[in-house]
Amino acid sequence: MANLRAAPDRTVRVIQWGMAGVAVVFIGGIITWIAHLIRTAWRLGDVPSASIGISLVAIPVFLTLLGVILYVFVGLLRDRGER
Amino acid sequence: MARWGMVIDLDRCTGCQACVMACKAENNVPPVGAKEAARGRIISWMQVLTEEDDEHSGEVKRFLPRPCLHCDDPPCTKVCPVYATYRNPEGIVAQIYARCIGCRFCMAACPYNAKYFNWHRYQKDAPGQNPDVSLRPKGVVEKCTFCHHRLQRARERALGERREVDPAEYVTACAEACPARAIVFGDLSDPGSEVFRLARSPRAFRLLEELGTKPKVIYLSEGEGRG
Amino acid sequence: MADPADTRDAPLIAPIERTGRGFYLTVGILLAFIVWGAVAYWTQFTEGLGVTGLHQPVSWGFYVTNFVFFIGISHAGTLISAILRLSKAEWRRPVVRMAEVITVMVLFIGAGQILVDLGRPDRMLNIIRHGRYQSPLLWDATSISAYLTASIVYLYIPMIPDIAILRDRVGKRKLLYTVLAMGWRGTVHQQRVLNRAIAIMAVLVIPIAVSVHTVVSFVFSMTLQPMWHSTIFGPYFVVGAIFSGIAALIVAMVAFRKAYGLQGYLKPIHFRYLGQLLLVMSLLWFYFTFAEYLTGYYGNEPEEMKVFQAKFTGPYWPFFWGMALTNFVIPVLCLVRLGRRTIGKVLLASLSVTVGMWLERFIIVVPTLSNPRLPFGEGIYAPTWVEWGELAGSLALFALFYVLFTKIFPVISIWEIREGRDVGLKEVEERLRTYLPDTPEAGVVPAARGH
Repeated sequence: MANLRAAPDRTVRVIQWGMAGVAVVFIGGIITWIAHLIRTAWRLGDVPSASIGISLVAIPVFLTLLGVILYVFVGLLRDRGER
Repeated sequence: MARWGMVIDLDRCTGCQACVMACKAENNVPPVGAKEAARGRIISWMQVLTEEDDEHSGEVKRFLPRPCLHCDDPPCTKVCPVYATYRNPEGIVAQIYARCIGCRFCMAACPYNAKYFNWHRYQKDAPGQNPDVSLRPKGVVEKCTFCHHRLQRARERALGERREVDPAEYVTACAEACPARAIVFGDLSDPGSEVFRLARSPRAFRLLEELGTKPKVIYLSEGEGRG
Repeated sequence: MADPADTRDAPLIAPIERTGRGFYLTVGILLAFIVWGAVAYWTQFTEGLGVTGLHQPVSWGFYVTNFVFFIGISHAGTLISAILRLSKAEWRRPVVRMAEVITVMVLFIGAGQILVDLGRPDRMLNIIRHGRYQSPLLWDATSISAYLTASIVYLYIPMIPDIAILRDRVGKRKLLYTVLAMGWRGTVHQQRVLNRAIAIMAVLVIPIAVSVHTVVSFVFSMTLQPMWHSTIFGPYFVVGAIFSGIAALIVAMVAFRKAYGLQGYLKPIHFRYLGQLLLVMSLLWFYFTFAEYLTGYYGNEPEEMKVFQAKFTGPYWPFFWGMALTNFVIPVLCLVRLGRRTIGKVLLASLSVTVGMWLERFIIVVPTLSNPRLPFGEGIYAPTWVEWGELAGSLALFALFYVLFTKIFPVISIWEIREGRDVGLKEVEERLRTYLPDTPEAGVVPAARGH
C-alpha cells in the first residue's frame, strides 16, 4: 500500500492495538464497577439481590461486547500480518 | 432496639403552627424569602396541611400537621441512587447531606411530599442558630429527622453520667412546642410509652395507609360527631 | 472488494473532501444555540437549580422530559439498522449509517440531561462510588452504558470498509483513517469476520435497546405516584421511543439529502417505507395511550382522576391535546396515502411526531407531580429561559455532533451500497426463487428433486 508512506506502519499498529487495549480497560472497568456495587450492597445488607440479579444479566452482556470487539480487532489485524 | 414514632391527635390540633416554627428554629431551616416562597420553594420540615370542606369551599375541615412520616417501608430510600437517604435500625429515615447528589428522585417518590430541596444557597451562617444541626448546602434534599440530634445529645449525656437514657429525655421540637399537646413522641416498641398506648386507640389511622409505606406517624381522628 | 478507482459513489465522499459555505453557516447557527445553552447551564451551576421553574411539588420538569425524549430518539438506530439487517431488507442500505450515528450522538446528549438535572453535579461520581442497584437510576446507568458501548461498536464495525475507502481515496487525515481502517483489505477472511461480527451485534443490540427504554420508564413506574405506577410503562415507552426515533431519522435523512445532494441514494421509495413504518408506530402508540387512559378513567380512582383531569381539561390541556394532534392526527392524515409528494408528507409527519413525542414525555412527567395525593396545593410549572436554553443547546449540540461526523465519515455506507449493486440483486432473486413452489430448497442439488 503505497499510500501508507504518509503514516509509519509501526505507529499505526501501536495505536490500533492501543485501541483494543482501551476497549479491554473500559469494559473491564465497567465490570469491576458492577462487582464493586455488589460488594457494597452485600456489606451493607442493602438488597444485595438487586445487585446480583442485575449483574447476572449485565456482566455477560458486557463480556459479549468485549468479545465481539476483540474478535474484530484480532480478526482484521492478524490477517494483515499474513501478507 | 427502639422504634421511634409519633402520634398526632387531630382533635387537639388548632392549626396554630407552633410546631412548624419550633421545628424551623431547632433545625436551622432557612427562610427562603418572599420571592422564592411565591415560587413554591418554602422549606418546611413540619408542615400543617389543610383539608378543605367539600361542600363549603374555603372552609377548613381539618388541620394536618405533616412531618416526615418515617415510614417502615419508605418509597424514598428505595429509589435513592447513592445511599443518601436510608432507614436506620431505630426506624428513623436519615438524610445525609454530604452524599446527596440532588437528583430529587426521593422527592418524586415520596407520596407525602415530605422532602424539600435547596434550590439556591438558602443557608447562611448567622447568629442564633442551633449548633447541633448542620447547615445544608445548595443542591441537596433535606427533611424532618425526628430531631435526631437531640437523641444523640441525650445518649452522650447519659453515657457521660453512666446511666441509661430516660425516654422522656428525647423529644422532638414540635412535640415539645405544641401548646395543645397534640403531638406525642416516643418509642413505639416500648409498651409503657404513651405513643404505644395511643397508637392502639380506636381513633388511630395512618395517612395513605393503602400504599403500604407503614408510616410511624399515627394520627388520631377527631372524636364522635366529627371526622 | 472496494476498488478505489470506482468513482460511481463520489457524492458520498464529496462532503468529506470539500466543505461549502452552507456548512459554516449551519455550524455558526448551531454554535449560537449552544452558547445560549452553555450560558444557561453556567447560570444554573453557579446559582443553583432555583433559576429554573422547578419547585415543590413539581421537582422534575424539562430536564427529565428531555432525558426521556433524547434517549427515546436513540432507538432509531436499533430498529432500522438491526432489524432491517436481520430481515435482510435491501432498502436499508443507504439508511443504516445515518440511523446508527443518531443513536450514538443522541445517547451522549440524553445521558447529559440527567447530569444537568443534578443539584450537585460535582458529586456525580457518587453514582459510581456509592451506587445502589435497588434504584432505577442505577439500572439506567448500567443499561445506557451497555447501549452506548454496543451502539459505538455497532456503528464502528460496519464503518471499517468505508474508512478503508477513505484511507485510499482521500488526501487528508491519513493517520486517522489508516488507524481506524484496522488494516482492511477486503480479503475473504476479513469479510467473514466483519459479517459475523455485524450479525452478532445486530442480534445483541435489540434486547439491549429494549432494556434501555424499559428501565427509563421504570424510573416513573417504580414509584407509587398516580398515573406513574402503571404496568404498561415499559412497553409504552419502548413503542414511543421507536416512534420518535423513526421520525428523527426521517428528518435527518431529508436534511442531509438536501444538503449533500444525495437524491440518487435516498429515493422516495425509502421515505415511503419509513413513512409506512411511522404510520404503524403512530397507530401502535395511539393504542397504548388509549389503553392507558381508558383504564385510568374507567377505574375512577380519585387521585388518578385528579391527574387525568389536569391533562384533559385542566392546566395541561394544550399540551395533552397538542400531543394527540401531533402524534396521531397529523401523522395519520399525512401517511395514509403516500402516492405523490411522498417526501414532503413524510417530513411533515416526522416533524409533527418529534414535537408530539416531546409533549408526550412532558405530559407524563409534570401533571402527576403537580397533583400530589395530600392537600398540598396544586403546583404550576413554568419553565424559565434557563430550561429553554438548555433544550435549545442540547438539540443544537446533537445536531453539531452529527454534522461534524458527516464531515469526517461517509453518512451513507458506501460498501453496502456497492454490495447491493454487485451481490444484492442476485441474492434476492435466489431467495425469492426458494419461496416458489416449483423450485428446490436453496443448497439442494437439483437431482435430488422428486424424492
